[in-house]
Amino acid sequence: MHAPERLHCTRIVATPTALDTAAWPGGAVVLRVAADEALVAAPVELDVVSDPHAIVEPETAFCGVWVEVEEALAFLERECDWELPTERPAFAQGAVAGLPVKLWFAADGDDRVLFVVPAPFVVDFVERWS
Amino acid sequence: MNEAVERLVDLRWPSQVKSAYDVVIIGGGGHGLATAYYLATRHGITNVAVIEKGYIGSGNSGRNTTIIRANYGIPEAVRFYQHSLEMYGRLEQETGRDVMHATKGLLWIAHSEAGVRQERARAEINTAFGSKTEYVDPKTIQDICPQLDMTGQGVWPIYGASYHPSGASARHDRVVWAYAEGAMRLGVHVHQRTAVTGFLRDGDRVVGVETTAGSIAAGVVVSAVGGHVTTLASMVGLRLPIRTHQLQAFVTNRYAQAFGPIVASSGLGVYASQPAKGEMLIGAEIDRAPAYAYDAGHSFLRSCAFRSIALLPFLRDLRVLRQWTGVCDMSADYSPIMGFTGVPNLLVTTGWGTWGFKAIPAGGEQMAELIATGRTPALIAPFALDRFANDRTMADRGSAGTH
Amino acid sequence: MVTDSVLTHLLRRGEYLTDGGALCLGGDCPHCLATVDGVAYVRTCQTPFRQRLSVQAHPAGDLPRLESRGERAPVPARTIHCDVVVIGQGPAGRRAAEEARTDGKHVVTLDSGDGQDAIGIYPGPLVVARTNDSMWQLYPRDEIIVATGAAEIQPVAPGNDLRGLVTARATTVLAAAGVTLGRVVAVGTPPEGVVATSVSGELVRFEPAAADPRRVGAVVLRDSLGTEHSHPCDTVSLGLGLTPRDALLRMARGMNVRGVGDVLLPPDVPPCPLDGTVCPCSGVTVEDLRSVHARGFCELDLVKRATLAGTGPCQGAACVPHIRAFLAAQGADLPTPFTARPVTRQLTLGEVAAGAHHVATPRTALDAEHRALGAHMERLGGWWRPWHYGDVEAEYTAVRTGVSICDVSTLGKMQVSGPDAVALLEHLYPVPISSLATGRSRYVLMLDERGYVADDGLVCRDGDTRFTLTFTSGGSTFAELWVRDWAESLKLDVRVMNQTMSLGAINVTGPRAKELLVRAGVTDPPGFLRHGTATVAGVPCRLFRLSFTGEVSFELHHAAADSVTLWQGLMRLGADLGVRPHGLEALMKLRLEMGHIIVGQDTDFDSTPRRLNHEWAVRLEKPSFVGRAAILRTNKLPLDRQLCMFEMDGNAPAEGATIWLGAEYVGDVTSSTWSPTLGRSVMLGWVRLQPGGNDEPDELPTKVSIDGQHARRVTRRSFDPEGIRARA
Repeated sequence: MHAPERLHCTRIVATPTALDTAAWPGGAVVLRVAADEALVAAPVELDVVSDPHAIVEPETAFCGVWVEVEEALAFLERECDWELPTERPAFAQGAVAGLPVKLWFAADGDDRVLFVVPAPFVVDFVERWS
Repeated sequence: MNEAVERLVDLRWPSQVKSAYDVVIIGGGGHGLATAYYLATRHGITNVAVIEKGYIGSGNSGRNTTIIRANYGIPEAVRFYQHSLEMYGRLEQETGRDVMHATKGLLWIAHSEAGVRQERARAEINTAFGSKTEYVDPKTIQDICPQLDMTGQGVWPIYGASYHPSGASARHDRVVWAYAEGAMRLGVHVHQRTAVTGFLRDGDRVVGVETTAGSIAAGVVVSAVGGHVTTLASMVGLRLPIRTHQLQAFVTNRYAQAFGPIVASSGLGVYASQPAKGEMLIGAEIDRAPAYAYDAGHSFLRSCAFRSIALLPFLRDLRVLRQWTGVCDMSADYSPIMGFTGVPNLLVTTGWGTWGFKAIPAGGEQMAELIATGRTPALIAPFALDRFANDRTMADRGSAGTH
Repeated sequence: MVTDSVLTHLLRRGEYLTDGGALCLGGDCPHCLATVDGVAYVRTCQTPFRQRLSVQAHPAGDLPRLESRGERAPVPARTIHCDVVVIGQGPAGRRAAEEARTDGKHVVTLDSGDGQDAIGIYPGPLVVARTNDSMWQLYPRDEIIVATGAAEIQPVAPGNDLRGLVTARATTVLAAAGVTLGRVVAVGTPPEGVVATSVSGELVRFEPAAADPRRVGAVVLRDSLGTEHSHPCDTVSLGLGLTPRDALLRMARGMNVRGVGDVLLPPDVPPCPLDGTVCPCSGVTVEDLRSVHARGFCELDLVKRATLAGTGPCQGAACVPHIRAFLAAQGADLPTPFTARPVTRQLTLGEVAAGAHHVATPRTALDAEHRALGAHMERLGGWWRPWHYGDVEAEYTAVRTGVSICDVSTLGKMQVSGPDAVALLEHLYPVPISSLATGRSRYVLMLDERGYVADDGLVCRDGDTRFTLTFTSGGSTFAELWVRDWAESLKLDVRVMNQTMSLGAINVTGPRAKELLVRAGVTDPPGFLRHGTATVAGVPCRLFRLSFTGEVSFELHHAAADSVTLWQGLMRLGADLGVRPHGLEALMKLRLEMGHIIVGQDTDFDSTPRRLNHEWAVRLEKPSFVGRAAILRTNKLPLDRQLCMFEMDGNAPAEGATIWLGAEYVGDVTSSTWSPTLGRSVMLGWVRLQPGGNDEPDELPTKVSIDGQHARRVTRRSFDPEGIRARA
C-alpha cells in the first residue's frame, strides 16, 4: 500500500431530499456518509443541492489511497469485524484496524478499493497496515 | 481435608420464614448481611430477616474483583473508605473467620502529564484525610512492581503513580459468609431463594414486603440490592438517580505467587492483581451503555487482554480461564446513596457502582447505626439521597473510572 | 495417520508429564496439562507433536511460574461472515455441515481434532475460535450448530490419581496409537477394539502396583453382596458414562443455536461418590463435600465457591457430575450445572488479544512540525499536543513581550445553519443569541439540564441563519451529540457540520501579533471579539479576535491541508520579531495569570455558573434555555462552595493541594503556577463557604494556607485586571 494522500473534497450537509436529488459532477466519487451529509471527492458548486441552507465546504480532513481489491480484502479480513458489501460499486464505513475508515468499492471492472481515513489517524493507519 | 474447607464458616439457616420482623433487609450480599451483622452485634437487634433472591453473595458481592482501597478524591469519601479499610483489617479478629485479607499496596499509574496531575492530587487529598497515598516516581514504581513495562509497549510510557500502601484484597465470598454466619449465630434469619415481589403499604408508609415465600411485615425495610434497585424502588413510586451498567472482568489459571501489588491504569483503563489463590484477576472500566444483562462480551475480553499486556507483558502467555459480568448501580455523582428515601420506613444502601465491596464493613456498620438510632451517622450524612434535590452532590473524580 | 499428539508421543515412550488421573484424550480432563513452549496449562492431548517442541511438566507440588519467555509474534485475527458455523466435526457435526452445504449455505466448520476450538459464543451472534495459527471471529447469519459431543465421566475413588487410568474411548485411541497398555481391565462400558477383561461392581479403589507405586496395579470393585474383588492390571479402562459438552449451547441461550448428536444426551448421573478426590484441579475430596454440606453449603454454586471445585482449568468437567450426584443423594433436587461462561477452551491472553489495537490518539496537521521542533508531545483533551518545545520560560516570554504561535487545531468547531438556527442556539445557550450581530462573537457556557457547566466556547454569527460554534478540545464529540439531540428533539430545521478535524487553527498572540499579521498580508485585522476573513501568508483564513493568553490574539481557522503552509509562513515572516511557538504548559501559565478556567480541569461535573463565579455568563431573564429551571432552583439554595483565585509568595503548590483555614480543610487547588510577571504564584481552587455566624451569611475565607504557606484569595486578578492588553 502507498501512503494515503490528502484528498481535496467537498463536504455538503443538507436535507436528505436535497442530497438525494443533487446532480453531482460526473465521474466524481460521492460518499453518502450520512442521511444529511455527502463527501464528494471533487470540487462542487455551492448550488449543487437545492437546499438554500445547505452547508457546502471544501474538506481536506481526509486522506485516501486506492488499493487492489485482493490486497484490501486480505487486510480487511484481519482488521474489520463487520460485514463488507458484496455489490459494486458500494460505500461502507466503520472501524477498521480500530480507526474510523470509509471504504469505496469501485464499480465492476475496476478491481480497486478506496480507503478514506481521517488525516489525524493516517500515521496510525499506515502503522497498522504494515 | 482441603485447607479452604477446614476454615470455613458454619451457616445455620432458619427453619421457617416468620410473618413479621423488626427489620427486613432485601438483598443477601455483603451490604445486606453486614447491616444485619452489625444490627445484631452492635445494637442487639436480632429480629431481622435478610431476603435473598438467589443464594447469598450471588450478585455483585460474588462477582467483584475484591479490591479494598481508600484513595478517593473528596474528603467525605476518603474518610468513609478509610474507615472501611481499617474495619477490613480487623474483620478476621472481629468475626473469628479467615477472609483471606492481604495488604498488597496499590499503584495507580499515570501515563501523561494529565495523569500525573490527577495522581498527585489523589495523594494530596488522601494524605489530608488520613489515608496513606504518596506520589512515586518511575524508579520507585519499578521497585514495587518489577514486572511493569515502563514504556507501555512504547505507547503508554509510565510517568509516575500514586501508591496506596494500605490497598488490600480479601476473598469476596468469605467476607459475605463471615457476616452471614455471625448474624445468623445471633438469631438473624437469612432466607435464600426468596424474591421480593412488592411492598406492603399503610398509606405512605412501608410496613413490609411481599415475597415468593409470602407476606412479611416489617418495622423497617432496607433495600441492599445491587443491579435492580431502580426496579425495586419503582414498586413504591420512588425514583432513584441510578443507572445500571455492566462491569466485566476475567481471570487466568492459577500460578505461583509472584505479583505483589494491585496495579491500575486510568490511561489504559485496566487493573490487575494476583489474589491468594494464584490467578491473575484483570478488570476494566464499566461499559458506557446502561444494561442489566450478564452477557460477557468478546470485544471486552480482547481489548482488555490487549491493554493489560501493554502494562504487564508477562500476561501474554497466561491462560485465560473465565470471564464474567457484574451489573453496577451508578449514581449520578459516582458516590453511594445511603439512608432515608422520603418513603417512611424504607431505607436504601445503593449506588455502589464499582466500589461496593470495599465499603461493606463501613456501609453495614453505618446503616445499622442509622436503623438502630433513627439518626444518620455523620460519616454517611454526605451520602444521603436528598443531596441530589439539595444540589449537594459528591462529585468524586477519584471514584469515577476503574474499580 | 493423524499427527501424534504430544501426549501419545510421550506415552508411547513410557513417559509421563503428570502424576496421573484418568486420561480422557478429549480435552476434558486436567490430567495431561503441561508447559509447552513456555505456556503452562496446555492440553498435551490436543497439541500436535513436533520436534524441538519444549515440553515440561508443571512443577511438582506447586503452581506453574508466573512468567512469559522470549518474544512471540502477535497472533493474527480473521473475521469470517458466513451462513452456518458447525462446532465439532464428529459424525453428527460432519453430517450437519454436509446438510447445510447441500442447502447451498456458506458453512464454516470447527474441528478440535485440527486444533480449532470454539472458546465462546457471544451476542452477535459471534463464535470465537482459537486455531493453531490465528483467532477466528465467525458471524453466522443463519445458525450455529453445536456438535461438541459428550465427555466421559471421571472415576472418583481412592487412587484415582494413579497412572494407568484411561477412559474407555481414550483406551481405544491409545491402543490404536501403539501405546503399550499391558493387561487392561475394563470397568463399565468396555473400550472398542481393545482386548480387555470386563469387570463389574461398584468401584471401590485403585491400588498402586508393587513395582511402581505411582502406577495402578489393581482395581477393586465391590459386588452386590458387599464383597470386594481385586483385579490385577496395568491399565484400567473406565467407561463410566457420558456427560454432554453443552457449555456452548447453554451460553448461547436465546440465539439461533441448536445441538446435534451427543451434546443433546441427558447427562449420566454417576453413583454418589463415597471417597477420593472429586475435583483434581482444586484438590477437593468427598470428605470436603460432606464437610461443606454439613456447614450449610447445600447449593451447587455455594459448594463450588466454598471448595473451589470446578474453578480450575477443566472448568468442572471432572467434578460437576459427581457433585450433582452428591447433592442429589443428600436429598436435593438434581441441581442444574453452573452457568456457562466463556472461555470454554483455554487460550492465552496473547491469543485472545489478536486483532486488538490501542485507542488511537489523533494528530493535528502540524504534528510533524511540532516533533521536528523538538516538542514534547502529550495526550491532552483526546489529541497529541505539544506540551512544550524545551523552554517553557522563553515560550511564555514570547507571548508576553513579543509574538508567539500555538497550534489550537484541536478546538471543537462546528457550523450550524438553517431557518431555526437562532431558535436552536437560543435554547442551547444561556445568553441572548438573536441580538448577536453578524461578524460578532460571544463567549458562552454550555449547560446541561441540571444547570451544570458541560463545556464552554464561542458563538460567532456568520449570517442571519448561520453560525460558527467552538468548543473545548475534549468536548467536541459530546458537543455534536448535544447539538444534534436538541435539534432533533425540538424538531428544528437546522443543518449541523462538525468541522473539528476539517479546520486547522493557529493562535497568533502577543503584543506584536498584529504586526506579524500585517506582514502576512492582513490589512484590516478584526477588533476584539469580532471576526473576519483574510488571506494570511497565502492561506485563506477566518480570523477570530479573542484572548485566552491575555494578549492580543487572533485565532486563524483554515483548511487542515493548509496548516503547514500557514505555520511555516508565520514562523518565517516573524523570525526577526522573535516568533516562537508555545506549548500547552506555557499556555496554562498564561491563562492562569488571567484567571481563565479550563472546563474539566477547574470544574467538576456539578459546577454551576454560580459556583464557578461565572454568573455573568448566564442571563436568567431569557425565558428559556437548557439548565435554566435547574439554576433558578439551585440559586435559592445557599451557595456552598466557589471556584476562587488565590495568590501566594513562593513556589506554586501542586495542583490538587488542599486549602486550609487554620486546622480546617476548606478546599483544594485545581490549577497552580508560578507567575514570572507577578513574581508570585497564582492558583485557582475550590473553597467551601464558612458559616458566617450571628445571622451573617456564609462567607468565603480570605486568608488561607496552602502547603503550609500563607495564601490570599483575590477577587480580581493582579495581571492586567482591566484586560487592556487583549484589547490593544
